[in-house]
Amino acid sequence: MSPAPPIPIQGYLVVSALLFSIGLVGVLARRNAIAVLLGVELMLNAANLNFVAFWRYGGGARMEGQVFAIVVITVAAAEAAIALAIVLNVYRRFRTVNVDQINLMKG
Amino acid sequence: MIAVIAEQLQTGAFWHPLAFVCLAAGALISGLLVVLSRNILHSALWLLPCLVSVAGLFLLLGAEALAAIQILVYCGGIVVLILFAVMLTRGIGDPDVRATNQQLAWGFIGAAGLAGVVLHLLSREAWPVASRANLGDVTGRLADALLTPYVLAFEVASVILLVAMIGAIVIARGEPQ
Repeated sequence: MSPAPPIPIQGYLVVSALLFSIGLVGVLARRNAIAVLLGVELMLNAANLNFVAFWRYGGGARMEGQVFAIVVITVAAAEAAIALAIVLNVYRRFRTVNVDQINLMKG
Repeated sequence: MIAVIAEQLQTGAFWHPLAFVCLAAGALISGLLVVLSRNILHSALWLLPCLVSVAGLFLLLGAEALAAIQILVYCGGIVVLILFAVMLTRGIGDPDVRATNQQLAWGFIGAAGLAGVVLHLLSREAWPVASRANLGDVTGRLADALLTPYVLAFEVASVILLVAMIGAIVIARGEPQ
């Protein structure tokens, strides 16, 4: 027997919103490209938490929330692999991964 | 025994809120440390407790398979990949170099504004909740959903992974000498 959990859904939504905002700070304010990527991972996790919370509190009958979360995790893995390959290439060429020093295309 | 503990954690009036508060605090604090650590290696390592806490929240919500996937893919795969990249681009990890750009204040203001707007919208809504007597076999139903109505998403995800793998190899290999 699994009635709805004793925490109201707002609890999960608040945690998700705060986690997303923390990730946004990382994306906006960190210099290191890898740290920017870490911020993106935090934001994706916050989105996943929302998907699963809505799945659970929507009754749990339809599985769209979890399927979407799995797709997000897959895309996050692919994105991390590609982004880190690009970071390695950038490091080879510029000897730095600080995003504010890689401004070759700035006019 | 384990089933009793799991049920207490998922629906118990005392244990569920306690576990929720611990996991939420763990996720948010380690998330903050990810963003604020001066050393990029520490940032990458602080991502681990954050991801594990989010996996714990998935468990609390009754998504066991997703929690396992989160641990396997994120903690076992992505964090290790990130640590590899940090090690390979060493020299930028020393704490004397400034870790944040000059937009730190604006970043905080923007993120705080976003959080404020979202929390305000959350508090205005009533969020009706559908109650269901029995979740049943969640993992089995997830497998059914992935392989019957959402098989297209499943196949597209596998193609994405293949393309990303080939692309990452080609990009990271660099130019042939």
